[in-house]
Amino acid sequence: MSVASRVRSALPPRFAEPAGGRPRVAQPHVRPPLWTVHRTLWALVALGGAGIVAAWFLAGAQRFWVNWLMWLVFMVCLALGALFLVALQHMTGARWSVPLRRTAERIAALTPWLVPVAAIALFSLPVVFSWTQPDAASITPLVLKEHWLNRPFFIIRLAVCLGLWVLSYVVLVRGSVRQDVTKDPSLTVRLRRFSPVFMILLALTITDFAFDWVSALEASWYSDIFGVYLFAGAVTTAIAATLLAVMHLQRRGRLPGVTGDHVYNLGGLLFGFTIFWAYIAFSQYLLQWYADLPAEVFWYVQRTSGPMGLVFVLLGVGHFFVPFLALMSRADKKSPTRLKWVAIWVIFMEFVDVFWLISPIQGGGIRLGWPEVSFAAFFVAAGLLVIRRALSLGEDMPTGDPFLAAGLDFHLR
Amino acid sequence: MLEPLFGVLALFPSADALLKAIPQVKERGFTRLEAYTPYPVHGIDEALDLPKSKLGILVFILASLGAICAFLFEWWTSTVSYPLLTAGKAYNGWQAWVPVMLEGTILVGTFTAALGMLFVFNRLPFFGNPMLRSKAVDEITRDKFALVIRPGDGGLDTSAAIAALRAAGGQAIEVVPAPHYRRAGLAWWAKVTAGIGAACLVAGYGTAWAIRTFPTTKPMVEMENQPRLDAQAPDTFFASGRGMQLPPVGTVPRAFMPVLATNPDQGGKALVDPLPVTARVLERGRQQFDIHCAVCHDKLGTGKPWLDSTYEAQPTDLQSSTIRDASDGYLYWVISKGFASMPAYAADISPNDRWAIIRYVRALERSQDAPARDVK
Ligand code: HEC
Repeated sequence: MSVASRVRSALPPRFAEPAGGRPRVAQPHVRPPLWTVHRTLWALVALGGAGIVAAWFLAGAQRFWVNWLMWLVFMVCLALGALFLVALQHMTGARWSVPLRRTAERIAALTPWLVPVAAIALFSLPVVFSWTQPDAASITPLVLKEHWLNRPFFIIRLAVCLGLWVLSYVVLVRGSVRQDVTKDPSLTVRLRRFSPVFMILLALTITDFAFDWVSALEASWYSDIFGVYLFAGAVTTAIAATLLAVMHLQRRGRLPGVTGDHVYNLGGLLFGFTIFWAYIAFSQYLLQWYADLPAEVFWYVQRTSGPMGLVFVLLGVGHFFVPFLALMSRADKKSPTRLKWVAIWVIFMEFVDVFWLISPIQGGGIRLGWPEVSFAAFFVAAGLLVIRRALSLGEDMPTGDPFLAAGLDFHLR
Repeated sequence: MLEPLFGVLALFPSADALLKAIPQVKERGFTRLEAYTPYPVHGIDEALDLPKSKLGILVFILASLGAICAFLFEWWTSTVSYPLLTAGKAYNGWQAWVPVMLEGTILVGTFTAALGMLFVFNRLPFFGNPMLRSKAVDEITRDKFALVIRPGDGGLDTSAAIAALRAAGGQAIEVVPAPHYRRAGLAWWAKVTAGIGAACLVAGYGTAWAIRTFPTTKPMVEMENQPRLDAQAPDTFFASGRGMQLPPVGTVPRAFMPVLATNPDQGGKALVDPLPVTARVLERGRQQFDIHCAVCHDKLGTGKPWLDSTYEAQPTDLQSSTIRDASDGYLYWVISKGFASMPAYAADISPNDRWAIIRYVRALERSQDAPARDVK
């Protein structure tokens, strides 16, 4: 018995026949036409772009590149978090999430865009990375790390990471979209086998990315757990983004059969990963605070004293306590309005996190002004444009997935 | 009054069947319904019109209390009752308390959830739930879902109830007899107490016997058994046979220059205060004076010891005119070398701190005898 027929025989009858696929549900136009939003986003891209160019000339190279890196890291978090969600569903064989998987896959459509953004970010090497500075040769920890932190190897690592990410994106997402047409159930099995491999690759590449692009900004600092830290934030953000996108599509009637129970589960995941992030973040902080080694703790001193200390507090309260308390009870996770606002807040907090990680390398206070606003306008609007376009990628639900029916049948019991 | 009848029970093959049956039974006018299921069924609370369980809020409150208690406990033990400076951290190092607070939260939270569910909401000490005597109870704990119609205020029409359950698709319908409530008597309490006592005795003596009989192994001794010299311990490596070495002849520890004068009078003239006149020096002096001198000389230096009457010596009144007129160098000599029954402090207080203390003593004297122009 071939894999395909084995899977097909497991299908409930009404989804077994692939003849012509399911009719696409008519989309009721309850909202004002799309182009207004679309145009606003383009206007923001243009304005933000102008601001970015101005920042290059007026705000200095350092500030420009710090902003660029912040958005690179944020995009990586969102894209990889979404890919992780997709792979997680394949790996665990979760059925309830099958109808939502396409939405996560669409958010992962940011992945190919990482290539240009990261390639441009390479120009920041001589400006913001401490190990490229002329005095690096006289700083012992940097000399000891020379075999890792040198330009050729750094660029090779970035290329490998980007290559693996784009490859995984093609395998996981493009494959799944193709399944809409081919209805070939064996793909589901193949992706289930590929997902564990992807998980290992993700663990290695996101750790490497976190070390190279965030902690290596202060190259004498180190924290083994840092990759996990970034990963925890990435998954939290991706869940929040998926939640928003799912509710957006749901409101437009594009996800028939997806109920409050599905959304409830996403809320549960968001709650869980919020705790995970806090656990990791605090573990890292506590160990370095306790050991109090000058080689480690200076990094936290920069980020917890002065005005940055306020951001630190905001992070603790906003990235953990707010979503934690807001999603604690069952009723909270059943309320769409609450879920929506918590999701928006969590995404904002992830940006605050990235800001807190990267911005202090410029020293002296909180750098928040028109350059930051311009970058935010540009990247948020551009990212939304990419995701909006991706919202037409394939069907709204993975109609070729043999478990879609089981997923739609999901109720909380 | 005891009910003559607990209720009429029917089994359903699935949670869905149960949820479908509930409104049908309700339609026939039966309102006191109970469901028994092998696992929590989502949506059953709403179907049975059960009020929202208060367990969640109880757990939240008590778990928060757990966190707060852990915090207060840590704060009190490490900064109030015995201020501890660990690894150079400041007092109130709340970071170190967070793991304990987390444990406290989880501990109290889980205990509240489990015990509250069992004892508060399910009235556990009562073991005689009539459902345990029903024939269906085995299947309920395995894979069947039971719906029970309980008698209302006006009793229960058994045959109507049976008909309603059958119409709703119930199987294995049975009438569950009323519970046989019985208060635990003295004999029961005696048995329980004796049982717990016997268990304690066996466990205690058993452990004591085991410890004596079997060689005890200490877990995780790596930290204790390090290749290092312990303070005060003898050691064969050095010729002196000591672990701790004395400083080589002719050396002095950093910042501990010996007093070079040979007698108090000469000292009084030769020893000169090297410190600058700053608020920090005075503050340091105040701190060191309060630590080292105040027990015997009182905070104001009046010489009234805080010690009880078994301390017989009479500390000098530092406000007295003799001390006022004595030179700073003389006081330095007294602190370093001791004076009659006052011990020497050269080993405990660094030279700079001695000078700071003297500054402060002078300030104390001035404070008790301030000229009018100081008050302006
Ligand atoms: C254990 C109790 C004790 C402590 C602690 C102590 N003293 Fe004394 N001190 C005495 C006693 C007792 C005398 C009186 C000795 C005598 O007259 O027999 C004295 C005498 C003095 C005198 C007068 C010497 C003289 O010429 O009469 C001075 C000055 C003095 N102490 C300063 C200090 C300072 C400064 C400190 C803190 C570093 C200090 N003492 C700590 C018990 C103490």
